[in-house]
Formats: sequence, C-alpha cells, structure tokens
Amino acid sequence: MGVDQDQGGEGKRSIERELRRGSLELAVLHVLSWGEAYGYEIVTKLVGKTNGALEITDGTLYPILYRLEAAGLVNVRWETLKRGVPRKYYQLTKAGRSELARLTDEWSTFAEAMTRLLHQQAEDR
Amino acid sequence: MTLDEYVHEVLAGIPRGARRTQIEMDLRAHIGERVEQGQSIDEAIRQFGDPERLAESYLAAVPLVSASFTRRAVAKLIDFLVLAAAGCTLVISVWQLTGPSGKALFPELADVVSPALIAVCVFLFVLMIPGYFVLAEYLTDQTLGKRALGIHVVRESGARISLGQSFVRQLPLVAEIFILDVLFALFTEKNQRAFELITKTRVVRVDLA
Repeated sequence: MGVDQDQGGEGKRSIERELRRGSLELAVLHVLSWGEAYGYEIVTKLVGKTNGALEITDGTLYPILYRLEAAGLVNVRWETLKRGVPRKYYQLTKAGRSELARLTDEWSTFAEAMTRLLHQQAEDR
Repeated sequence: MTLDEYVHEVLAGIPRGARRTQIEMDLRAHIGERVEQGQSIDEAIRQFGDPERLAESYLAAVPLVSASFTRRAVAKLIDFLVLAAAGCTLVISVWQLTGPSGKALFPELADVVSPALIAVCVFLFVLMIPGYFVLAEYLTDQTLGKRALGIHVVRESGARISLGQSFVRQLPLVAEIFILDVLFALFTEKNQRAFELITKTRVVRVDLA
C-alpha cells in the first residue's frame, strides 16, 4: 500500500523561523560531534560556546532532538541513575555525521556569500 | 504547576501512540535533569515554555504521512463489517427475547412490542453508525478498522481533533453525500475527503509519524 510523503508542512512558517530551526539543528549536530551528551549538557554547551547568542531554550531544543532521533541522525541511550529519573544520552549516527558535514558546507557557503555581499559598498558595484 | 500537570498539558493535544509515549518519557527525563542541577520544578518547567506551544513544536518536528486510499478503504470496510455484525446481533437478540417464536423469553410481549421494538432498534442502529465514528475518533483518534490498519485522524497540525471536527467529519454519512465526499480523497494531495478539507483534518499513518 502506497504512502505519500508530506514534505512541505503548513507553508506559512516565516523565513526567520525556518532559518532559526535550520541553524539550531546544525548547532546541535555540531555539539554532538564532540561526543555523546544528554539534554541539559547540550543546552549548557550551546549557550556557553555562543555566549548566549543562540538563545536556545529547552522548549526549542527538545523538539529538534526529537526530530533528529526520528530521522535516524542520532542514537539514544537511556542510563538509569541510582536515584531520580533515567537520563537520556544522544550520540551522532553515521547518517548524522554525513548530514553534519553537508549542512556545515552549505552553511559556510551561504555565510561567506552573505558576508561578502553585505560588505560591498555602493561604488564597488 | 506540578510536573504531572505540565506533562499532562503538553500531552493533551498529542494523539495517542508511540510518539506520545516517547515525548512523555523525554519530557520527564529532561525536566529531571534540570531538577538534578538543583533547580526547582517551577524553574525547570519555565525553561520549557508554554505547554501548548511545546506540543506544537513537537508535532511540527516530524512530518505526517498520509494514509493511502486503499488503506482507508479497508479500514472503513472493517468498521462496517463490525457495525453490521453488532446490528444483526442486536436485532436478533431483541427478536429472540420478545419475538413470536415459541422459544421467546417474553412471549407475552410478542404481539404488542416486538415489531415496533425491532423498528426502534433498527432506527437507533442507523443513528449509531455515524455516532460511533464521531465518538471513537474524538475519544481515541481512531475506529476499530483504523486501529487494525495503523492509521488515525488528526488535525492538519498533527494535533488531536475536537468533538466539533469529529462531528462535522461524519456529516456526509448523515446527509448521504458520502460518495461525492469520498471521491475527493482520490484526487486531493493529502488524500483528504471534502469534509476533511472543511474541518482541516487528515487521516495519517500512526507508525510512520
């Protein structure tokens, strides 16, 4: 029985939201390339390494991790601690690493082009 | 707000299934991580933001996969077979309890009640068919047939449907325009019936979501 993928979603998402989501996804993949981490660790690393410029909250991070997990880009491991709730660790899969490489390339090209454009003076045109 | 209240509010709009179970486990674990760092439950919860928005973000994170027309048709067939079996059982039981046969449990009721009673049963049953779809889809997101085929009804955002949406979805059945309504599902992008377009609802795969 055939299924058809719904690619687009609602189509009314703002550019800003898409850009933010895309860049956060790349940021999360990058943090995970340093090694396995659990949610709170990822938040503190993201906030710490960017001096808070990324403004990531738990409410934005976890849906992203959830998506990465569903897409097979990260593996998860539950660790039962002696007390309290079990902790969930995330690590990159092989697919996650190649996605990270692809997104990093794409991002660098885009950022370089934008920087070049924005530094161009009127007389240079 | 307690942890349970918060988790409950986030999950309220999310359809039942594996996704919901996972989101609940994740939320509890991640809020737990903050509490372990010495934060209060309230502080931790504040980091996760408005429960309704969080639910929307989770739902938007994974694309929905439309149920194919065939899958939906088989589900509907199962539903009607189950309903027909239930209807026959009902009518036969009433007939046997009060009918004119010598074996009736209440033969004294046979002349007066039986034919009228059967008519009432049939009428009630005809009403019950759309009623079943409305209630089952509102309360559990799926009917028995849909459950068997691993599909369920959601809003276009992926959230659970309201009672009103569930009701309007079944109007074509009552108004007897369901053939026209169903034809839409063959040609629309997300296999939506006309009344699904109106109510902004869809039937999607449970497992692939």
